[in-house]
Amino acid sequence: MRRVTRYIFLFMLAALPAWAQESPYFVTYDHHLEEPGNLEVETQSNAGFPRHSEPSYFAPYIELEYGITTRWTSELYLEGQSRSGDSTIFTGWRLENRFRPLAREHRINPILYFEYENINEASRIQKEAPGHATEFNVPNSESRHIRAHELETKLILSSDVHDWNISENFIAEKNFSHNEGIEFGYAFGVSRPLGTIASAANCHFCRENFIAGAEVFGGAGSTQAFGFQDTAHYFAPALSWQVSDNSSLRFSPAIGLTSKSAAVLLRFGYSYEIRGFKDKLAGLFRSKQP
Amino acid sequence: MKMAISKMRSRFWNIVLLVASALLAGIAAGQNLTYRQDPGWQPPQAAVIRSNPLAQNTGAIGGGRKLFLRECSECHGQEGSGRKRAADLLLPEVQKQSDGALFWKITNGNARHGMPSFSRLPELQRWQLVLYLRQLPASASSASPAQKE
Repeated sequence: MRRVTRYIFLFMLAALPAWAQESPYFVTYDHHLEEPGNLEVETQSNAGFPRHSEPSYFAPYIELEYGITTRWTSELYLEGQSRSGDSTIFTGWRLENRFRPLAREHRINPILYFEYENINEASRIQKEAPGHATEFNVPNSESRHIRAHELETKLILSSDVHDWNISENFIAEKNFSHNEGIEFGYAFGVSRPLGTIASAANCHFCRENFIAGAEVFGGAGSTQAFGFQDTAHYFAPALSWQVSDNSSLRFSPAIGLTSKSAAVLLRFGYSYEIRGFKDKLAGLFRSKQP
Repeated sequence: MKMAISKMRSRFWNIVLLVASALLAGIAAGQNLTYRQDPGWQPPQAAVIRSNPLAQNTGAIGGGRKLFLRECSECHGQEGSGRKRAADLLLPEVQKQSDGALFWKITNGNARHGMPSFSRLPELQRWQLVLYLRQLPASASSASPAQKE
């Protein structure tokens, strides 16, 4: 019965709707924020296949992204994890805020990113890979009890150059639950739409509906042991497909570049955008006209 | 002793959450919902004089309409006549602006008045939007719908 409940939980996480059109990246952030008043519901999953005989894992998560103002986007994440031959567990939540300090478009557009994470060490969504590499051989029964209250900050630099997006993220993360120093990481991404002019037809498979790209991400150690020793690094081609006006699908296979990285990560994402969510919500509480 | 520390920690995080939620709610409630024209939202001269590379490509208008309905109609309405928080795009004040000025405004947005930036769209698609804006039917009060500065 418990197993059935676990699979229902995982299915619900993976089947709920979420991001319309936007970049294909799973890890790298660009400077484009959610439009104010819009809510994006997104479900993503990260299937990891470690090297050697360590068990594979499946980590789905739901993301609620809301545009508070044109220069401030906030997101809430709920995440879970299932490990082959082990258990399925809820691994925590994250609250993320991105701020755009400059009002207009520039050659390089900075974004300030702050995220509070209330997770446990069983978390495997791998939204980034700062610090040193994750230990994959710890069973969920142990890792779920190791809590991590973390503050993650990023400096996001992003440019749009002739329809190419080039983004660089510099990550610093502090775990308040354990003395790990400040951990560092990076993510770089490049992407471009396959078609740059929109056709009049409402087509699903037009080139303009696809954005292709690639990203590299990894860790750079911590203040206790800075450098690339025992760190994980990945290269990931990525593709997004705008299925309809409001929804899009994304896929990215990431290849581990070091012996401490998982061999392969397979990521899927589906997003659904509710435009004018704030107005729709407010409408529910508005008094009826006589 | 351990329990007391644990309780204090838990209380601390509850307070952090409460403050964060209050902040979010306050900012959301403080959003500007009433549209006013912003005299400070002026493109630089170099942007104003840019011409639309699709100006002669009437076949691109259909794509512009599709983009408009997808990206703009939520605030500007399906016919572009505006809603309480967005400009009426049929007004002479809008239509008399040059293609380059409209392109610049679509690209940069106006953060102070809630107009988002659409720089995530490819450049040609933003020009398609400008092309379509020129095709919006003129309102009764607008005499010249497609003048350029």
